[in-house]
Amino acid sequence: MVENRPILTFLTHAILIVGVVFLCFPVWMALVASTHGPGALSQSPIPLWFGDQAWENYSQLLAGGLPEAGGVPIGMMMFNSAIMALVITFGKIVISILSAYAIVYFRFPFRMGFFWMIFVTLMLPVEVRILPTFDVVVKMGLLNTYAGLTVPLIASATATFLFRQFFLTIPDELVEAARIDRAGPIRFFKDILLPLSRTNIAALFIILFIYGWNQYLWPLLITTDESLYTVVMGIQRMVNSGEALPVWHYIMGTAVLAMIPPVLVVVLMQKLFVKGLVESEK
Amino acid sequence: MQKRVVFRSKLLPYMLVLPQIAITVAFFFWPSYQALESSFFIEDAFGFSREWVWLENYYELFRDPGYLKSFRTTLIFGFSVAFLAMAISLLLAVAANRAIKAATSYRTLLIWPYAVAPALAGVIWYFLMNPSLGIVAYWLKGIGVEWNHYVNGDQALLLVVVAAAWKQVSYNFLFFLAGLQSIPKSLIEAAAIDRAGPIRRFWSITFPLLTPTTFFLLVVNLVYAFFDTFALIHATTEGGPADATSILVFRVYNTGFIGQDYGSSAAQSVILMGMVILMTFIQFRYVERKVQY
Amino acid sequence: MATLNIKSLGKIYPGGVTAVSDVNVDIADGEFIVLVGPSGCGKSTILRMIAGLESITSGDLQIGERRVNDLEPGERDIAMVFQNYALYPHMSVRGNMEYGLKNEGLPKDQIAERIAEAARTLRLEEYLDRKPAQLSGGQRQRVAMGRAIVRDPKVFLFDEPLSNLDAKLRTQLRAELKALHQRLGATFIYVTHDQVEAMSLADRIIIMNAGRVEQIGTPMDLYLRPASRFVADFIGSPAMNVVEGTVTEDRRGLLVDGSRDIRFADEIPATAGARIAMGIRPEHLSPDASGAAQFHLVVDFVEQLGADTVVHGKVSGTTVPLAVRLSGVQQHGSGEILELGCAADQLHLFDLSTGQRLN
Repeated sequence: MVENRPILTFLTHAILIVGVVFLCFPVWMALVASTHGPGALSQSPIPLWFGDQAWENYSQLLAGGLPEAGGVPIGMMMFNSAIMALVITFGKIVISILSAYAIVYFRFPFRMGFFWMIFVTLMLPVEVRILPTFDVVVKMGLLNTYAGLTVPLIASATATFLFRQFFLTIPDELVEAARIDRAGPIRFFKDILLPLSRTNIAALFIILFIYGWNQYLWPLLITTDESLYTVVMGIQRMVNSGEALPVWHYIMGTAVLAMIPPVLVVVLMQKLFVKGLVESEK
Repeated sequence: MQKRVVFRSKLLPYMLVLPQIAITVAFFFWPSYQALESSFFIEDAFGFSREWVWLENYYELFRDPGYLKSFRTTLIFGFSVAFLAMAISLLLAVAANRAIKAATSYRTLLIWPYAVAPALAGVIWYFLMNPSLGIVAYWLKGIGVEWNHYVNGDQALLLVVVAAAWKQVSYNFLFFLAGLQSIPKSLIEAAAIDRAGPIRRFWSITFPLLTPTTFFLLVVNLVYAFFDTFALIHATTEGGPADATSILVFRVYNTGFIGQDYGSSAAQSVILMGMVILMTFIQFRYVERKVQY
Repeated sequence: MATLNIKSLGKIYPGGVTAVSDVNVDIADGEFIVLVGPSGCGKSTILRMIAGLESITSGDLQIGERRVNDLEPGERDIAMVFQNYALYPHMSVRGNMEYGLKNEGLPKDQIAERIAEAARTLRLEEYLDRKPAQLSGGQRQRVAMGRAIVRDPKVFLFDEPLSNLDAKLRTQLRAELKALHQRLGATFIYVTHDQVEAMSLADRIIIMNAGRVEQIGTPMDLYLRPASRFVADFIGSPAMNVVEGTVTEDRRGLLVDGSRDIRFADEIPATAGARIAMGIRPEHLSPDASGAAQFHLVVDFVEQLGADTVVHGKVSGTTVPLAVRLSGVQQHGSGEILELGCAADQLHLFDLSTGQRLN
């Protein structure tokens, strides 16, 4: 539309640039700080541009971790994070798509009951049932295991709802055609429904991966064995490491490393991500 | 809603929902029931004996100034984060909506913080605001503001509010942008012909039409601030100084795991559950989405 | 005075696409002008440039002696009715109509008066407090018109306002629009792709093709003397018969598919050997061997419509289809040969390559 006010265009871009700076500056500083040695970061003002310690800092982190915080190699923590994130993501997708399929395409007693049970979990975030859930996991002997880290987080109402919503939009004729073609429910699912759900699955993958990777409270409780620490939760030990002063260049380096996988996923699959996010909350 | 055409298998559907229901029961319902139950007891530290006290734990909480302060802190924190994050993102979304050509590039630059874990956001801002080394603290000192969140409770709260809002701007931005783009262009054109300038057009036409999105985001932001920010607080201020940033969800953890008072922690959990249920109920009722069958 | 003067108006989009080029027209106060043409011809673009919703790349636009090229839409003293009504969904009908007036700073009593008047004219009194979502399509369109009327603008702009309505409603509202124009005496500029609407509503029609003006004239001008083949094709229903061929050496005949059946009474204004298109409306052909043009039709089949009969066939000796409309009930068998002719002013000749009128 015609707006003969160039001042507005200027303002528009100014606002957007300030916004971008506001969002990017903290991470910029984290990056910068991670490339300096302890000396540069020991007095104010700290440098705003990169230092030359990048290689040393990151190799130390990945291989040996921070000595003051128990010397857990970040590389190992990232590996744990990756396993946790991927297992949770795939687990959630598989379980929810099966449940959604059952609820939409079958008629059986308690169908609606199950639906409501899943729905209710939306109102029970983990922070609200910390202690008892912890107890259950301990009783099952899942403390300090990958299973304990992932299984309790795998049931997902949001993903189930998304799939259910999507399935409801698929024309009935497809099922009828499949039946005429002698395809039973499993074959229909495998050969027809699944391929059609590809975009939804991809979009969900992004959101769930981020959710899984960024888990904090749960890994904090479940893992006492350092070899199972995840990187997002492991960083906490570095910041609040008792009497010793925080070793900022290492902490920032850890933060940067911890951020890379999820940010990469979002940026590379941006369009899918936006679509998945907006669709799943509708 | 059910499909008109369904499969007739008897056993298969049960097997399909089994994994989810099993996990849901084991890790959601059972623990929640446990929490509810525990909240009516006082346990000794070793868990050997329990005494039924009905609502005593709840009464205690509401008599406890610490808890009430935590409640207040949580509300202040929640609404501050929601307001700050939504205002900033709305402004950015309006701007991005106007810059149609560059919109996608700006969008890429603005949405990636969604991927950053709250804990990391907290740690980074914690670093930026460090009284002796933080670059932002340094700038503040330059304009005459003494910053030390280790000592000043209000500043600590401000720190976590800013960090939490920072992270949430991206999410809100996406939804506001989608909302803005769904408003038919002809409405804005009609308003322009009706002699409304850009500011007038925004407040009398655009903003009212964004109400569903705004309301939805308000609830989401509040839930985020009340619950998902545990990581942020735990990794930085740890509830301090002097409980200035001890929001309710943090307190549940503190009371239970650190303080070992299971009854009180359970009671707090139940209260929080009540809050979530209320907010989720409002969200579904108003946004009136998937729950139709 | 609500006159419009458009001089050499042009629009080029960034990226090089020319939407409109070199439009010139002077619109008198109170005229009902219709911009018509196929999709993408630029008619909506012109309307939006008049409204100020698109910028003007070249040329001048004057509304009532004032050059408005650089004025905001709200400053041009215009009102617009959109195709999809563009009613503010969160305001009542009254609110929708008040909005523009409030922005102008009109006192409350004047606003109420104008709304009452418009509501009376458009029969909207009962609906004033309802929201758009509670109204039917036709009612919404009337509210959109009401919103425009209360503004008392110099020029009313209409962007295909009837396209979203069903046929019956369309005919009804068309009549109401015509009556409204007479009642208000205001300048109307109306865009449509429907030539029937154009013919019935307009004082003058601007017919557009690919960004250029093909012809400006009254409906009768366009009907009786189309300036180009495009106009001839576009206006009139059923469509004009068009026969392509080569001018004979004596310039008194048309060679079509090797047949010399088509003869003209006088020499036609085209060079021998030139490729031309001949147009004659089905209703202008009569079974009469005299006239400016004469030829024979071999009948294929006949459509009995009751009041008229349409005979379909081919020009003798060719495969070129032709239709002729005869009044009353007429019987003609397949294979029958009819002698047909038409009057001089009903014969239209166009250059085949440029499409421009020759006679």
